[in-house]
Amino acid sequence: MTFKSSNSSSRIMSRPYIFRHLNKVRWVCLTLVFLMLVLIPLLGIYQHYVSASAYRNLDGSEKLLFDSMHALSSPFTMDPENDLDALKGTTWSGQLFGLKITDPLAIVGQMSAGLEVYWPFVLTGLIPILLTMFFGRFYCGWICPATFLYELNSNFALWLKKIGVYTGDRKFDRRIKYLILLLGIIASTITGTIIFASLYPPAVIGREIYFSIALSGFGGGTLFFMATLLFDIFVSKRGFCRYLCPGGALYSLLGRFRPIRIQRVVETCNDCEKCNAVCEFALNPMRDDFGQECNNCTACIAVCPQDALTFVVSLKDLDNQGPGYCSREYRSNSDERVNEK
Amino acid sequence: MVKAAFKVRHITQRYLRPPGALKEKDFIGRCIRCNQCAEICPNNCIKFFGSENGADSMGTPYITPREKACILCMKCGDVCPTGAIKPIKRELEPIVQYVEMGKARVDEQLCLSYQGKSCGVCYRACPLADTAIKVGYMEQPTVLDACVGCGLCERSCIQIPQAIKVIPNHLLASQLKATHLKERRSGDNDVQIIKFK
Repeated sequence: MTFKSSNSSSRIMSRPYIFRHLNKVRWVCLTLVFLMLVLIPLLGIYQHYVSASAYRNLDGSEKLLFDSMHALSSPFTMDPENDLDALKGTTWSGQLFGLKITDPLAIVGQMSAGLEVYWPFVLTGLIPILLTMFFGRFYCGWICPATFLYELNSNFALWLKKIGVYTGDRKFDRRIKYLILLLGIIASTITGTIIFASLYPPAVIGREIYFSIALSGFGGGTLFFMATLLFDIFVSKRGFCRYLCPGGALYSLLGRFRPIRIQRVVETCNDCEKCNAVCEFALNPMRDDFGQECNNCTACIAVCPQDALTFVVSLKDLDNQGPGYCSREYRSNSDERVNEK
Repeated sequence: MVKAAFKVRHITQRYLRPPGALKEKDFIGRCIRCNQCAEICPNNCIKFFGSENGADSMGTPYITPREKACILCMKCGDVCPTGAIKPIKRELEPIVQYVEMGKARVDEQLCLSYQGKSCGVCYRACPLADTAIKVGYMEQPTVLDACVGCGLCERSCIQIPQAIKVIPNHLLASQLKATHLKERRSGDNDVQIIKFK
C-alpha cells in the first residue's frame, strides 16, 4: 500500500477492496453462466417427464435426473411443468425468469437477413445494449460461455508450452473482426439467413450444449468450435476473440464511449509490465492503451502489485502518461532533470 | 457450388414448421436459431435441420409428423423472440385461422376405412375433430378446409406406410403451381388436382 503515503492528488484515493478480487468474481460469474447452459436443458427434460407423468416408466439414469432436478426446482416452484417455462434458451437468446433477452448480434443479423425491423424483437436486446453502452465489452469477459472455455484453453496452451509443445502467439490486426462483422452483415443480406448464428462461438456453444443434452448429440457447430480452440492454441493466443469474433466487434463499437473504464494511476505505477502480460486481449494497460476493445475482465487490476489500476468514470481514455512515477526509467529521467538544473 | 448450397430444397422435402410459423422465406430470415421452441415443446416434437436441407435452413426447427407430431399447445409461439413463430392463443378460432402448417391428405387406396374395415384412428387423434376432419358411416375420414396440419392423424395412422399424410404448406403451394402449369400446358381441365374435400 505505497500510494497512501504519496502526496495528495485527487486521482489517488483508496481503492475499494473488491476491485482486486473482481477477477475471481468474474470467474464465478462465467462458471454460473456455463452451468446455467447445462442446467436449462436438463430442466427441460425434467419438464417433459413431468408433463408426461412418466416417473414410473423411467430408467435408472432418467430417474436420477428426475430426482435431482426435482430437488433443485421444488423449493422454487409447485408447478414445474408450466413455471419452468420462464427459464429457457441460451446467451444467444433466452428467457431469464420470463424476461426475454437477446444478443445484439442476433438483432443485427436478423435485421440484415430479413431487411426489416421487428420492434418486439429489437426491444429484447435493449438491456444488453444499454449495459454495453455503459460498461463496454463486458459481455465478452463476464458472461460469454465461449470465454469460459477459451480462457481454460489458453491455460492449457501454457501447460503445453511448459512441456515443450509448440504454441503460437502471432499477432494480427485487431480490425479484422470489424471487417468480419461487415462481411457477415452483407452475407446475411445476400443469402437471407442469419450467418452469425453459426459463426459466433457463444451461440454455437449454447446450441451444441443443448443438442448434446436434450437432442440426439453434438452437431456440426462443435467442429467449428474445436477449430477455433486449435487456432487459439497453435496460431494465436485468444486469437478468435481478439481478431475474428463478429460479436466482439459489435460490442466494441457499442461500448466505445462507455463511461466506466479502467485507468492507470501513473503516480503509483512502476512499469512492471505484469498487466500487459496478463491481458487476454493483448492491450497495453501499462501505456494507457485500453481503447474500445477492453472487456473489463479486471485481470490487470488483480495482478497489479502497486494497485495502480482502477475503475474510473470517464468518457475517454487518458493519452499515454509516460513511464510510471515509481519506475526506474522515470526516476533516472528526473535525476537527469535535477542535474540539468 | 455455393449457389447450390443455398438453393432452397424444400420443394422436395416433406417437413412441417412449428405452428404459427411465417412463410418459408420470411421464416428463414427471421429465425435466429435459438432453439427455444424445442426447449419449451412439451411433446418434444421439434427437431433441427443440419445441412441436409440447404445451408439457408441450417439450424431451423422442423417437425416430422410421422415420428412425433405437434399437439398445438402454442407454447413455441409465446417463447419465440423474433416472431418467426407467431404467438397464437390456444383457442379453436385463432388456431384454425392462423396456424398453417399444412393440410392432411387421405390416400383412399391405403386407408382401411375406405377398404371396408372401419378404423377411425385419425379422427380420434385429431385435436380439431369435426372441425378439421369428419368421418362417414364406416369411419372413412374426409379432411376439411379447417385442417391446420398438426400431423397427429399421420402419427396415429396404423397403416404402414401411413394412409393419411400432411402436405406442408410450402409444398402445397408448389404442387398447386405445378398442377396449374400442367393444366395450362395440356389444356386439360380433368387433371387430378390434390383433393382436400
